[in-house]
Amino acid sequence: MTQVRPSGLLTRETYQRTALGIAVTVVGLAALLAVLLPFRSHLSIAIPALVFVLPALMGVIVGGIVPGVVGAFGGFLLYDIFFLPPYNTLTVRSPQNWTALAVYAVVVLVVSQVVAKLRSTREEAERRTEESERLFELSQALIGDLTLSQLLKHMVATVQSVFAPRWTALVLPDEDASDRGAVTALRVAASAGQPLTDGDIASVMSGGGKARSLGLLEDASPRRVSVALVVSHRPVGMLVLQDVQLVERERSLLGTFANQAALAVDRAQLSEQALRARLLEEIDRWRRALMGAASHDLRTPLASIKTAVSSLRQADTHLRPEDRSELLELIELQSDRLSRLVTNLLDMTRIEAGALELRPVAVGFDELVDEALASLGGNMAPGRITVDAPADLPLLRLDHVLMGQVLANVLENAERISPADSVIRVAARTVPGSAARTVEVSVSDDGPGIPRDERERVFEMFSQNGGGGRAGLGLAIAKAFVEAHGGRIWIDPDVDHGARIVFTVPAETLVATAV
Amino acid sequence: MTKVLVVDDDPSLLKALRIGLSARGDDVLVAHSGAEAINQVALTAPDLVILDLGLPDLDGLEVCRRVREFSNVPIVVLSAYGDERRKVEALDSGADDFVTKPFGMAELEARLRVALRHAAARSDGEKSTSFEVGDLGIDLVHHMATLSGSPLQLTAKEFELLAYLARHAGKVCTHHMILKDVWGPGYGAESNYVRVYTHRLRKKMGDDDGRLLKTVPGVGYQLVADDHSTVANE
Repeated sequence: MTQVRPSGLLTRETYQRTALGIAVTVVGLAALLAVLLPFRSHLSIAIPALVFVLPALMGVIVGGIVPGVVGAFGGFLLYDIFFLPPYNTLTVRSPQNWTALAVYAVVVLVVSQVVAKLRSTREEAERRTEESERLFELSQALIGDLTLSQLLKHMVATVQSVFAPRWTALVLPDEDASDRGAVTALRVAASAGQPLTDGDIASVMSGGGKARSLGLLEDASPRRVSVALVVSHRPVGMLVLQDVQLVERERSLLGTFANQAALAVDRAQLSEQALRARLLEEIDRWRRALMGAASHDLRTPLASIKTAVSSLRQADTHLRPEDRSELLELIELQSDRLSRLVTNLLDMTRIEAGALELRPVAVGFDELVDEALASLGGNMAPGRITVDAPADLPLLRLDHVLMGQVLANVLENAERISPADSVIRVAARTVPGSAARTVEVSVSDDGPGIPRDERERVFEMFSQNGGGGRAGLGLAIAKAFVEAHGGRIWIDPDVDHGARIVFTVPAETLVATAV
Repeated sequence: MTKVLVVDDDPSLLKALRIGLSARGDDVLVAHSGAEAINQVALTAPDLVILDLGLPDLDGLEVCRRVREFSNVPIVVLSAYGDERRKVEALDSGADDFVTKPFGMAELEARLRVALRHAAARSDGEKSTSFEVGDLGIDLVHHMATLSGSPLQLTAKEFELLAYLARHAGKVCTHHMILKDVWGPGYGAESNYVRVYTHRLRKKMGDDDGRLLKTVPGVGYQLVADDHSTVANE
């Protein structure tokens, strides 16, 4: 699209054009004079009159009415002096020639005026077209899905290019500061044109400290225009233009821009609020799922403990000694499970609250496995696990209690879902090319596996319908502990048989020197 | 010897139940999943099913519905605390009673006894037009009900309600089931109707404390003919 003429330069440009028009007129008159003068005795007196209309018209077209008047006057003089006998005087002898001169003057003036009017009408129309195109472009941007800051940038850039002030700034209430108790703190949200100096910013702020009157207003400070952005009688911000003088129609244009901007700011703020609300809702849903999973996982061992205890207590049951010891063992194992879960939950809560301090120590991988198995106690049958780690595996540096729980939870999960006679494979290796020396621990089972499209979400999924959930609380806890160590945990996406859960743990950076 | 099928995916609860019920003298079968449970019911025809609602493969409600397609075996559902809605849905899907986890063996056994005894009575009652549930006699042809031999003066709706509960004696009937069957298919949410009529029935039967016509809070009603064997729902 054509560049809109910046209004700030309007007068200077008008002068330039007028001067150019006058020059064109004068040069034209001189040239025509030079051409016609040798033949003046052979020409009818009407011919120069007609020819001298041309420079004046060209002047009008280039520079408006002023060159036209100049052309008319100059043409009049030249015509009179050089082409109406007696030559080289202002004297006009015959009435016929008087008539010719008069007609020339009238024709040139009238035509000049008409042309000038046409020209200014066309310019006005062009300007209006450009303005409406600008407004259209702006409104296109406003209904697009720009973020608030992009939108504000776009807006001030448009205002800057249309009105060409020294700078344009958009000032919004500072919500963070308002939260801190400031009455109405402001911040410059976007600016265009020359960079604002600290002094500029200070003066904008001090000028806008209190609610401004609505609509367009000019500041006390010289050549500054401020417009309040208002949506349903509520100011949402302010647009400030420095070093600009506006004529009436530019004021109304700026007002229109301001209205558009106000709507856009309002809309963007609303949608950001909606986004925040959705986020909170998501967190809330996650917390509820976590609560549900926690209560399920805590109740499951409790249910079998109570059933077993009540069987033992019941007088009229005839328990064989081996049944009795089996029930007692069950109670012990489930109590261990319950106690481990409670400890895990408390630790996870402490991590989330930032109250748990990791105590990293150097630990061998074998120790970590032992830690996990000890914590599982009788809940993991011996001989179900194989461990595979290279001899040159570095020492690990981690909180062995928490990371032992991670491995225990992953193992318990594998034990729960895989066939009773299958083997659970634990493996460790250094991650190839990891500068910080990270060790990758994996646990593979022969269970039903996890559908590919769910593998990424498994750690957020809590069992919803009792014991049926694929990933109970254990894996969610494992995730929290692994992340507290700066690692990550995932389901191997490329395994077709069973499931393979992988997590990273930091290795000891000091290489063991003992050989 | 009662043949009991226990369906649960938690191996330790399964083990505790197997030992506890065996000690009582039951013949205990176990199933770890919904599909396995349906197969077991079809193949071994147990006298009673204890069904956990949370199973890895099929929803417990779905298991209820599918079993009911071919069997009238009494089903006692194990539900988790806070699972009220699913508990009611299970009863609507054909379960007879529920026990909330964690539970003691005494409570479970009481529920099992009630379910078993009434299932036997029901299978007799279904064939005849008049039957007895404990001291209660129902004559469907003459719209007559007697309690300990003395006739009860009941309106038509009161009789229909009592007959329905008696036909399903021992089973926990939800408000929804009662309304649909006694009032008609257009009803289902008007549980206050049922409340009004059970209140009248209790008055006429001299059962003001609800020992015969038991309220199951938040769920519905259960007609228990032999109140010595019942254990209050918590």
